[in-house]
Amino acid sequence: MAQDDTSTRRAFLKGGALLAAPIAAAAGPAALADDPLHARLQRLQDEAAIRELHRSWLQQLNAGGRETLPGHAVRRIIADHAGAPERLEIAADGRSAVGYFDHLAEVETPLPQQCTLAQMAHAQGTGTVCRSERRVLTLDYTKTGGTWRIVKADLTAPV
Amino acid sequence: MPGTPYPKKPMHRIAYTKLSKEQIGARLDPIAKQGPTSVSPLATDFAGQSLNILTDGGPALRYEFAGSTRLSLTENGVNAIHAGYGALESDRICLLSHMIPGSQRGYTVVIDRRSGLATVIELWFSGYEDNREVQRQIYYGYVDHGGPAPKARHEPTNRLEGRGYHWRQDSGTETLEYYPSAGYSHFVELSRTGGELGFCAPSDYVKLDDEFFLYTRTECEFSGAFTACVIDMNRTQQIGMRLGFDERDELHYELFRSQGEITGQIARFEKFGDYSGDPIPGPRDKDGKPIKGGRRVYRPIRTMEKLTPEQVAGIVKEHSTAFPARTTTGGAAGMSVNALPANDFLAGKTFTLRYDNGPVMDYKVDSADQLSWRKDGGSQWTAARYQAYEVAPGLLLFGHLLEGAPNHDGHIIAADFHQGLVTCFNGFLNTPYFANEAGARALFGVLEMDGIQPPMYRRHARTTEMLGRCITYSYAPGLTSMHLYSTPNTVSWIIFTPDGHGGMEWSGPGDFVKIRDGIYFMYWLEEACNGTLGTILLNLNIMHDAGIGYHCGAHGLNMSQIGAVVRHAGKFEVERYFQIRT
Repeated sequence: MAQDDTSTRRAFLKGGALLAAPIAAAAGPAALADDPLHARLQRLQDEAAIRELHRSWLQQLNAGGRETLPGHAVRRIIADHAGAPERLEIAADGRSAVGYFDHLAEVETPLPQQCTLAQMAHAQGTGTVCRSERRVLTLDYTKTGGTWRIVKADLTAPV
Repeated sequence: MPGTPYPKKPMHRIAYTKLSKEQIGARLDPIAKQGPTSVSPLATDFAGQSLNILTDGGPALRYEFAGSTRLSLTENGVNAIHAGYGALESDRICLLSHMIPGSQRGYTVVIDRRSGLATVIELWFSGYEDNREVQRQIYYGYVDHGGPAPKARHEPTNRLEGRGYHWRQDSGTETLEYYPSAGYSHFVELSRTGGELGFCAPSDYVKLDDEFFLYTRTECEFSGAFTACVIDMNRTQQIGMRLGFDERDELHYELFRSQGEITGQIARFEKFGDYSGDPIPGPRDKDGKPIKGGRRVYRPIRTMEKLTPEQVAGIVKEHSTAFPARTTTGGAAGMSVNALPANDFLAGKTFTLRYDNGPVMDYKVDSADQLSWRKDGGSQWTAARYQAYEVAPGLLLFGHLLEGAPNHDGHIIAADFHQGLVTCFNGFLNTPYFANEAGARALFGVLEMDGIQPPMYRRHARTTEMLGRCITYSYAPGLTSMHLYSTPNTVSWIIFTPDGHGGMEWSGPGDFVKIRDGIYFMYWLEEACNGTLGTILLNLNIMHDAGIGYHCGAHGLNMSQIGAVVRHAGKFEVERYFQIRT
């Protein structure tokens, strides 16, 4: 039987390593740092790369890649169009970033196997309760070698 | 003297022989050479014909028919074999069946002559740890005439879900079949075993077209016999086959025709537009591919805790709980999220429950959860924790354990303070098969209390008003089942999949008592399953029940609350099949 409930940080990092978005045009940051136009271009490229990374990450998660979000029994995450706009905070040195995304998370909770009915539900492979909840997805990014990677992901209740 | 052929043991109590592969082979080979028997005349128009069937991901079958009982088969272009066969036809549908001599497998093939589509069921013995359980794999395909392959196929469906039939076979065998699930079915053998109890089996439902459907069932956990039939929905007729060993280990391989009556059609709970079938995902191998013949089968006896009387005595002494704040184990734990609140109607009252031909129980109720009881006027009062739920004005369900009773009894009581009537489902342990498996008896009587004059002759009474009904019970988020009251003594329960398909199903003995109009006191026993006694006082006026579960396992004896919001899914009209006849 497949072990589909086992998530580890190692697996997460391994999954995250597959989800990395290179920046389209890699210019020498030291040479361009003092140029406002180039700095702005760099920021736009970073934002675009992070958004692409986010999209791919969600795609993988929603396709069943639960190791991408350890510690959360989430089946699917979709955009919450009634939520706050996304927020991307890129560090001044351009090497790390944090993204905040309001999402609807489909949270899956296993039915405790305390009664015959729950045991039968598990026996037929459907022993979970699924509900949609508003969540803030917080993703920490780091850029190495010109490529953005997700290093941490967390889902929290909105404040 | 002929009489109703009640079995000495019901199906779930029979210790079916673990037949060896060799024993099965020895019985099967002559029958494979001979082909299936049939009371009805076999189809004759295959004689001299040949047939090529191609299937998606399955075998290519080339048949040459020498007559109406002999064929040769080439599988995937290799090694022609000769076998006996039989075929029946219904309008444009043909069903032919044969085994392969020298093997333990064979095919049953359903062909639609109009569409040219074919469904092939490969059948085999000795494919599961219990060799006698017939395995099956269904392939969808078509009859190849050399032209382009048709795009359409027969397909799994939920279109039969909710239907019920009474079938009378050409052999005289009468069976009630209920299809309350898209992956299981329930059957009651009226003529063979007297129809006292119904049983459940994993099933396939295949749509051939809007008029003809294929149904199968494998009597897993019982004899292991396999039945497949094509149902003509307009004419209410069947053509079918049955293969398997009975409880006397006699091998049956037969074709049959049946004439049916529709007993009803209950609601389905999938979204409108969802006609998909095969709702229970089957097991897969390590590469994620479906396992040939694999299906999820409910096999509860394997996981049931089985205790001796000595073990039960020790466990009950150490771990008996009634209505804990949060029940964590037991056959009914977790089924109380939607339950009616407990109330203090009984607090401060003193009364006597006088059961006909049963005990006289005196009660002094101290509070909303503490009472004292005394049996048959004894000098000693025993304190017990209880809960009570007022299901209708003046109608209480309450229960408590009887500490010190040799069989660790529990009383679950529907007490009508307006009518002065009571019915008790007396649960007990130390039953014959497993000591922790609950038994139950119904006690009818009166309630005596200051201000209440009970009737002298009137009592609550057993009823068939629930017979054939299907009620859904939503106990908690994600925990909804449907009861099917398939016989006057059977409760079957169906588990839904998240998208509303009926999924796994099981059943046990039950009892039904009418308390007031629209209010019924019922129990079911999870025999050879979980050992639980489940009781509910169902109020169809408010579409809610209150219930109490009584369960003993390795963690202790437990009495706990259950309760659900209910829906009425419909009713099968089956009462006429359960009349006592001489």
